[in-house]
Amino acid sequence: MSFTRRNLFATVATAAVSRQFAQAADDPVVIAGKRPMILHSDRPEDLETPVRYFDSWVTPIDAFFVRQHLPRPGAIDTAAYRLTVNGMVSKPLALSLADLGALPQFTVPATLECTGNGRGFYSPKIPGIQWMRGAIGNAEWRGPRVSDVLKMARANSAAAFLETDGADTGIASTPDFVRSLPMAKALHPATILALSMNGQTPAIHGFPVRLIVPGWDGTSWVKWVTRVSPAAQANTGFFMNPAYRYPKYALPPGTPAKPAELEVIEGMPVKSCITAPEDQSTAAAGPMTIRGFAWAGENAIERVEVSVDGGSRWREAQLSSPKLPFAWRLWSLEWQPGEPGYYTVMSRATDTAGRVQPIVAPWNPSGYLWNAIDRVGVIVEKSA
Amino acid sequence: MKTAILLSAAALLALAADQATLDRGQKEEALACAPCHSLRLVDSQRLSKATWNKELDKMAAWGAKVQDRDALLAYLVANCGDDKPPAPPEMTKDGTRPQRKQ
Repeated sequence: MSFTRRNLFATVATAAVSRQFAQAADDPVVIAGKRPMILHSDRPEDLETPVRYFDSWVTPIDAFFVRQHLPRPGAIDTAAYRLTVNGMVSKPLALSLADLGALPQFTVPATLECTGNGRGFYSPKIPGIQWMRGAIGNAEWRGPRVSDVLKMARANSAAAFLETDGADTGIASTPDFVRSLPMAKALHPATILALSMNGQTPAIHGFPVRLIVPGWDGTSWVKWVTRVSPAAQANTGFFMNPAYRYPKYALPPGTPAKPAELEVIEGMPVKSCITAPEDQSTAAAGPMTIRGFAWAGENAIERVEVSVDGGSRWREAQLSSPKLPFAWRLWSLEWQPGEPGYYTVMSRATDTAGRVQPIVAPWNPSGYLWNAIDRVGVIVEKSA
Repeated sequence: MKTAILLSAAALLALAADQATLDRGQKEEALACAPCHSLRLVDSQRLSKATWNKELDKMAAWGAKVQDRDALLAYLVANCGDDKPPAPPEMTKDGTRPQRKQ
């Protein structure tokens, strides 16, 4: 038997993979600092929050979802860290964490949602992580405004975009994760370079420095930021084009889009989710609370309605305050099922701009922006 | 009768060949996909043959060294086709408690 190099590699790799399979079966994955999470991938980490953890306005870091495109960068030395500000600026800068910390600091409560949250609900199926309800969380982000950093660097007012790169890099020939933000959004007072999240600096969530783009899809919130560059044009790399684009005109489900008719995703749609009772759960007859969250990208939530009869009749749920743009509101409705049986419980949100959740979320080739009226089934049993 | 026996033998052979292809496909998945990412990312998908085909093209363009492409595609369609039931959800273990040193 002749051993070619590939055969040898095959033998070694198969042994390694057998170990990996054995590990998957016998030795479950533990992610330091995280409660038990729905595991989509451990390498890189893609973790979904189970809906039962969504019982507070601020999502604790140990329950916050994780979405990595590329392997996480190695530990960043906070003393050596520098943010490069270059491109269309008169005064290029290399800012330390102390420099960023010396600028006026702002706290921005904002909901972060993966662009593909809910992809698992689409039919026909779409490649990508099959997120259901839990690639979302709400946190208090704190740091200096991007506009203050650009002022220090004397950014050219003709720059139309802000390009942002992070410390993560591609593997094999996968492209680097670089994003561009229209300058008007970059200069918005709520767009910050966060130095903390809920008062902490978790590396898994992109610290020491993460770009916060309130109301926009998670893909815009670049992690481990190392460079910001005002530019005349948007970056043309994979993560700007063709990725993270949405068809301008709705498509028949299962059909491809015309590349020229795909647009960069910006603000997020209006959406609500039911977090209790859980789908296909059983409850004893008696009073119960239907709960969930609702958010609307750059708008605030105006109203959430709940139906317990498959959408025939709707009642208004109670909403938590504050009523803010960018951040979700928790909602609840007390319910006493009259009879045992199977109930279809639904939630529908309306935002301050009058947008209402649709019955059908438009199918799109990458499975982005799922925001259909949420729906769970509950089995109510006779009380003893 | 003879025809029937011949036919079943042919069917068995075809089946055996299929199984051998699927085994090769599984090995190829490990060789081509696992160097860059967890196989969970692959095994949790439920896609049509045409969509898997496109995914393989995309991954090849990103540097995946796929050699036994036909076997890999057959394996993916057989195990992660869009006619298969959804992959059962998997949970991580609690990582908030102090870890015991091994």
